Order: sequence, then C-alpha cells, then structure tokens
Amino acid sequence: MASVEIQNVRKSYGTVETIKGVSVDVPDGAFVVLVGPSGCGKSTLLRMIAGLEEISGGTISIGGRVINDVEPKHRDIAMVFQNYALYPHMTVAENMAFSLHLAKKSRQETDMRVSEAARILGLSDYLDRYPKQLSGGQRQRVAMGRAIVRNPQVFLFDEPLSNLDAALRVQMRAELKDLHRRLKTTSVYVTHDQTEAMTMADRIVVMRNGVVEQVGAPLDLYDRPDNMFVAGFIGSPAMNFLRGTVAETGVDLAFGQGARLPLGARLTPGTEAVLGIRPEHLSVSDQGEISGQITNVEPTGSETFIQAEVGGQKLSTLVRDRIAARPGDPIAFSLKSDTVHLFDPASGQRIGRSPSAGSTPATR
Amino acid sequence: MQRKKWIFATLAILPTLVIFAYVRIYPIGDTLRLSLHKWDILSKNKPFIGLANFEELMGDPLFLDAFVNTTVIAFGVLFITIPLALVLAALIHHRTRSHFVGFYETSIFIPHIVSLVPAAMAWKWIFDARLGPLNALLTTFGFSPKAWLFDPVLSVICIIVLCSWQALGYAVMIYLVGFKSLPTSLYEAAKLDGASGPQSFWRISVPLLKPITLYVSVVTLVSGFNVYAQAFVLASDSQGAPGRQVRVLVLDMLENSFRNYRVGYAASEAVVLLAIVLVLTLIQFRLLREKGRA
Repeated sequence: MASVEIQNVRKSYGTVETIKGVSVDVPDGAFVVLVGPSGCGKSTLLRMIAGLEEISGGTISIGGRVINDVEPKHRDIAMVFQNYALYPHMTVAENMAFSLHLAKKSRQETDMRVSEAARILGLSDYLDRYPKQLSGGQRQRVAMGRAIVRNPQVFLFDEPLSNLDAALRVQMRAELKDLHRRLKTTSVYVTHDQTEAMTMADRIVVMRNGVVEQVGAPLDLYDRPDNMFVAGFIGSPAMNFLRGTVAETGVDLAFGQGARLPLGARLTPGTEAVLGIRPEHLSVSDQGEISGQITNVEPTGSETFIQAEVGGQKLSTLVRDRIAARPGDPIAFSLKSDTVHLFDPASGQRIGRSPSAGSTPATR
Repeated sequence: MQRKKWIFATLAILPTLVIFAYVRIYPIGDTLRLSLHKWDILSKNKPFIGLANFEELMGDPLFLDAFVNTTVIAFGVLFITIPLALVLAALIHHRTRSHFVGFYETSIFIPHIVSLVPAAMAWKWIFDARLGPLNALLTTFGFSPKAWLFDPVLSVICIIVLCSWQALGYAVMIYLVGFKSLPTSLYEAAKLDGASGPQSFWRISVPLLKPITLYVSVVTLVSGFNVYAQAFVLASDSQGAPGRQVRVLVLDMLENSFRNYRVGYAASEAVVLLAIVLVLTLIQFRLLREKGRA
C-alpha cells in the first residue's frame, strides 16, 4: 500500500490541453473517487497514473517515488477496465495467473494466490471457465481477481460498473467497498455516476474540463459545494437554482413577479445572486412562502418528485408523503434558510464559501 | 406476398446460379466421372475402366515426383508465410503512428497483384547463376555461387521463396484486419500485467488470431498445391525446357491431358489433388478450432 501524489499534472494532445494542472493527494489506504461528466479528463488522469498515457507536465508519485518515466509494470499498480479486458482465450484461473506467470512466480505460489483471490471473490467454482461462459458480474469479479493476485500498492478502477445492469451495479458497489475494507489497498476509482461516488468514496474529486472543481468527503461536497457546478453535479435529483436580485431588505431574494425567498445571509441590496436549494430541502405546505403551479408529478412509491413553475423559474421537490397533486394544480413550498446555498451568477462560486476548499488534500 | 417475393428472389438469382453450376460444380462432377474412364481427347469412346487410373498413378514415378515436389512447395510456403506474415503484420500494426504505414502496407501487398509471369521472370534473374544479384551478393561475402535454378533441391527452394513472396502480401493484409479487430484494452491489461511487446504478441495476439490463421493457412496451402506458373517459368532444365526441373502436380496433369492425350488419367490426378486439399483443410479446421468456446 502506498499514497499517490498528483502534482500540477498536465496532459496535452498537440495544442489541446485536456488536463490543466491537476493536484490531488490520495493518502495511503484511501478510496478516492474521481467523478465528473464525460470528457472532464478523469479517465485520462487515471491512465496517466497507470502509465498508459504519457504525462505532459507535473509529477505523479506512488509511495513517494516519482513514476513519470517508470514502465507500467514497474509501478506496482493494478487496473480494472470498464470492459474488463479479460483474455478471452484463457480460463478464469489463467486470466488471474497471467501476471504471476510473467513475473516467473513458482507454480505453488501462483496456485495459492489464485485460489485465495478466487475464494475472496467467490469464484472458486468457476476457475476452469472461459470469460464467455460467465455473467457480467462474474467477469467483473475475475477482473478484480486479476488485480488482487498481484497484491499491488494501488488499485485503479476505470468505470468498472458501467457495463452492468442497475441491480447488479448496486450489489457490486457494496462488494467493492467491502473488499476495500478488507484489503485496505489505496484505490483510485473513476466514474461519471455521482451516486457511485457518494456511496463508495472516502474522498471525492470532482473534475470538469480538465480541472479539479472540488475535493472533499462525500457529505462535505453535498453540504458545502464550492460552486454551482459541484452543487448541480452532486446530489440526485439535482439542486434547484433560482436567479434573482437581493431585495432592499438585504435578506431576501426577489425573483419573477413579486416572489421572494429568504437568503439566510445578508447581502448588498440590488446585487444579482443565484440561490441553490436541494429538492429534498423544500417542503410542500399550504403556508409556504413560495407558490407556483405544478408542471409534472413522478411518484416512485417511496417518494414523489414534483416539478413546478415559480415566478417563471423551474423548481423541483422531493417529498416522502404521498400527495394528491396533478399538473396544473397550485402548490406552495416552504424552506429552511439554513439549507440554502448562495452563488455568484457571474463566477458560479459560492458566496461566503470556506477558503482553499479546492486544494484540500483527499484525506481519509 | 411472401411466396411472390420468394419466387422473384429465386428467379433473380437463377442466372448466376446456373453459370456458377456450369463452370464450377459441373466440372468437378465431370472430373470425378472422367477419372473412372479412359479417354484420349479425340475419340468418341470413353470406356469405363473403374479405378485402373488410380492404380496406375500409385506406381507412376513422374506423378510421385510431382506429388512430392508439390507437397514440399505447399508446406514450405505455408511455414514461411504464416509466421512471417504474422510478425510483419504485428510490426506494421503496432507502428500505426509512423508516417510510413501506407508505404509498408503497399510494398508488401504489391507482389500479390503483380502478374505471375513477369514477377517470376524477375526472380529468375535474381536467382540467375551468372548474372543474378543473389550470387553476386554471396560472392561479396565470400560464399561460393550456386546454380540456384539447375539444382533439383535449390530450385524447389527458389520456387518456395517466390510463392511465399507472393502469398505474403495477402496474408499480411488479412492479419492486419485481424489485429485491428483486437481490443486495445487487452494489450493495455497485458502491459500492466507485466508483459513485454513480444510476450503480448505471443500470448495475446497469436492465440486470438487463430481464426485468421486458419483462414490464411487454408488459402495459402490450397494455392500452394495449385502451384504451376512459378515452377513453369522459374525452373527450366539444363536445355531450357520450362518446368522440367521441378515437376508439379498441375504441370503433370497438363502434360498428361494435352501432350499424352490421357484425359481420364489426368482427371484421376485432379481427384487426388482435390482429396488432398480437402483432407488438409479438414485437419486444419480440427487443429485450429477454438477449444472450450462455442
């Protein structure tokens, strides 16, 4: 096990820079998730750690050793690919033993490590099968097994669950997390799915357009997003943003035609601001301070997702109670001012945010 | 409606099917029939003689000579072409960033589309005992020059070289397509598993390209057994009579048909050739079939 330090790393293809100076610290034994939309550079960053992409600038160290120019096989890492990348002509056992054969380990040691990994992953009965004869979840486990047998310092995961169906993804998510608890190997995990990031990570690194937007513990990102991008990306359903002007009182946001919301802070009257409120923090009540008209209702059984139009802007809410509401009905919401987030509409940054949150090391 | 479509489809395909049957299937059937008859190409009589042609073949030194030569050439070409094509295709494929990829592909493929006879003439010059560059090269390095095209063993080797040079282009092309179909993530996984380039080639590419190898080796072997023009042009005897030095099966058939007027006998040779090619193809399928995977 070892820590991974990424310092001011850049990647460019010709004149196009895709990673623009990223710094992330992954402490020994941590499970860090890189999350962001497609094209944000998270997979490229992971592949640079693995040695599959050259590093254009900056340094990456594993266990204190700079590995920029070290061959992938000497970096002491193992990677699980999105499409598993299992060797189709080898059995499960051969797939797992491949790296050990190449490292010229003894037959006895190879067999021991393979059967141990198979036992951990529940693959003992499938050792003689070929990848084609396995289900998606089993293939995923073999890919994990191939990583485990090497006993590497760092595990790298490149969207390993995105080829699985929803139910299996939830199951494998728990298995991976459990595995990490048992093995305690430093892990860097890439996904575009914020739910996966929230449920698995010790620390989340949110990326966009080749830069780190915020690093923090899952609930910190949820509670105190640094900017509108993180606020909108973390949490499902996504946060509501209402754009308006600070009223003459200095504590209310005026928007639409006469609608007002408490800011939860005092700002200069007349300034533009964006108020962010999570759907789950809005409650439906007849005495609510905001009223509008329902545009859509999506009941899922355990909760109901309601979309409404308030003062010309869209607002959604998630309620646990079953309510008889139909599109077109009037609706009123109330909110607690301490659950409100304020952002500067020009920069998208949080107003009154804690300093230096963007460079917080991803500690456990 | 379905029935109408079916009738239309049948009618549409019929002309092609008739021509195909006439030029492909009928000759095979007729060859099988002829091989059991005696026919001198001119007379109307074609008496049925059973398996007499085949019995005679087994004791015919010219046929046996041609059979051995052809077999040696076909397998020689196979054993040179397959490994060489695989390695060349791998080298070209893994150098895809190079500006010369197009040049490499073209220069390897050109021999396959060049007309046989001019190509063979060029090689005849290369192998020429007195004027050829091969002997010139050998003498430069202190080896004694050889009579490449007049020695029975050396001339077989020369034909194998020529045939392999021609077969290589096609084989490399097919292998390149095969390489392009293999997922890059497998090579990345192998790289992380600690495999070097040659190890990835040997343990990933070669086994995964088995179906391609099957196809290429069947095609190469079949065309190897049909070798004719290369031997005819390249290997003249000491008096310059073409094709005598290295007798091959197709040449033997031609001589029996149109020089000795023994069409039935030549047909029996063709049947033997057909049987050999069929059996070898079956063996190759059996050997290279992917094990354990449906």
